[in-house]
Amino acid sequence: MKRFDKGYIYSSLLSDVIYSFVVMFVFLEELLFTDEGELRNIIPYIPIFIVAFILIYSCFTAYRIMYYKTSGYELTETEIRCNKGVLFRKHSVLEYKKIHAINKRQSIFHRIFGIAVLTVDSGSTNTAHQAEIMIIEKSSIVDSLVAELNSLKENGARTPESDSLEESVLLSESDSLYNFTSKKKMLYTLINVASMAFFIALIGALAIIVIGVCKLMLELDYLGTWGQYFLYAVLITLGAMLLSSFFVLIGCLLSSFVKYYKFAITKRGNNIEISYGLLEKHTNTFSYDRIKAVKVQQGIVQRLLGFASINLEVIGYTADSDNENTDIGVLVPFCKYDEVGEILERVLPDYTPDEKKTSAVSYFPFVSWFLLIFGTISGLALSLTVAIMLIFSVSAPIVLSVALSTALAIAIVIGVKLLHGFLAYKINGIASSGGKITVYSGGFTRKVTVFTVKDLVAVEDVTTPLRKKAGIASLVLHLRTNAASNEVKVHIQEASLTEELEKLLKV
Amino acid sequence: MELKKLSKNVLKLWYIRAAITSLALVGFFISAIVILSVAEAPSDVRLAVLLAVGIPDLLLLCLTLVMPVLRYKMFAWGYNDKRIVVKEGVIFRKRVVIPICQIQDLHRVQGPIMMLLKLSDVTISTAGSNFDLSTLTTDEADSMIDDLEEKLEARIEEQNNEEI
Repeated sequence: MKRFDKGYIYSSLLSDVIYSFVVMFVFLEELLFTDEGELRNIIPYIPIFIVAFILIYSCFTAYRIMYYKTSGYELTETEIRCNKGVLFRKHSVLEYKKIHAINKRQSIFHRIFGIAVLTVDSGSTNTAHQAEIMIIEKSSIVDSLVAELNSLKENGARTPESDSLEESVLLSESDSLYNFTSKKKMLYTLINVASMAFFIALIGALAIIVIGVCKLMLELDYLGTWGQYFLYAVLITLGAMLLSSFFVLIGCLLSSFVKYYKFAITKRGNNIEISYGLLEKHTNTFSYDRIKAVKVQQGIVQRLLGFASINLEVIGYTADSDNENTDIGVLVPFCKYDEVGEILERVLPDYTPDEKKTSAVSYFPFVSWFLLIFGTISGLALSLTVAIMLIFSVSAPIVLSVALSTALAIAIVIGVKLLHGFLAYKINGIASSGGKITVYSGGFTRKVTVFTVKDLVAVEDVTTPLRKKAGIASLVLHLRTNAASNEVKVHIQEASLTEELEKLLKV
Repeated sequence: MELKKLSKNVLKLWYIRAAITSLALVGFFISAIVILSVAEAPSDVRLAVLLAVGIPDLLLLCLTLVMPVLRYKMFAWGYNDKRIVVKEGVIFRKRVVIPICQIQDLHRVQGPIMMLLKLSDVTISTAGSNFDLSTLTTDEADSMIDDLEEKLEARIEEQNNEEI
């Protein structure tokens, strides 16, 4: 069995310097600060710090060396084998034909020593075939392994021809099917900032109204005159908007410029390859036939400005804590909504969304149950609160201010729901043609999900006695994909649509 | 496809569960009264707390006692060579159609009360979702699982032949 590249030890030892400092300061924090939180004179403690650092760093070093000695990989005729772990040793075996995804990852420390991490995924999270293979090798060897494994995935076994593929080169960046340009990244950042500012402004406006009612009813003099109150309230809201926008700006800039640095999608035979990243470079490869659905999403601000993002539902890629594949589902982080069809036509022609052929048949059902349940509960809660306040002989202005503020907040929530219902009424719909289903769903966020009929696992219709009489039903389409995203809901459609979809089920 | 109703024992099970929930709700209300009495709370405080706890408690209690019979009335299930159909729901009525060839595995689960009443929960797993077929008698569950297993094998073979 071949050992991992020695660069693993060197890069780990470099990153361990930082970890050792962190661990040392966590354990020796009391030597640094007094009980009052003031910084002590640390000069007498320097030898303790040095000894502690050496001890911690030695532990890390010993672990890395042992890991290096006990880990390795081997490519046999029909399968890939991998050993890893020190205390808990894991031996994984994955047949070539069961390879689902091949990913290359390179952190900044790995790049210093010219190594990369290759992970090979079986795509299964709950079957006996599960095997998570990890190989740490020189970047060029990893590139060759990616090419070789891609070929072995198709052939199922090593042949002299597949050996010769080791020298094949990845497609160049100019072959990318989508370019995430700096202009797009900047727009993406600004739209995220605008979305955050919009919601802060909305919450700020709500707070100003509710506090204003309390000020009026309770004559809260400390809030100043009405002019002063509004000035301060607007300034605080603006401050909150600016502060949060600043953090969002930093986060988005890092995310779009650093994380999505040199973002490229390439297609090689039956494989899709997505590569991106500056500090940590990713190259994710997966088979076209492992894609189970494509989701086009538009937040409210993105919708207003005509932009969208495209995500993939790929079997085996779930956002669980043990898995670093959370972001792999992103196909196109940001593009014009009008370009979605064109991009998908080039990358995934089977998943180009169709124009919706059915629409929601009525607006009222979108809000009726919410109004009934929320109205009843909030009405009861308000009545109870007022009754209890009256029992305690609370003064009339306070009761009135509480009642008015609550009623106002309830009215605003209902207003937001009415707007959400209206948007959902306009969006919800479905289209089915040529073995492909396109579902339009959502409210403030518009989601367009495209999947093939062969991945439709079950059809569910949900209705109420009154809706049944009116021939209305909501549909839940269960897909063959990850547990977290295996259903798509489309609301308030003609009930006869259920039968049409049931006919499409592969029975 | 003819849909079957659940066994009467299922209603018994649901009422036993409802009784346990009701006991907890009544217990919560009684605890509130006892605490107020021990703390010698003034009468207006007592009234306020009893109102705040009592009204939601009473509403929940009514729902807990009424729901099993309504749920039992609405539940129906059945299967043939190709599909499984489940109908359920009191206010929101669901109808699920699952093709037999999509079944990945079948689960039968029994709790202590279910064992006494000879009942079992059946869950159908597909490649995407899990569907709970609620509670069946253990005999029904066993024969259904055996039957589905056979039908699944036959259907897969049929599909393979069709593809060839």
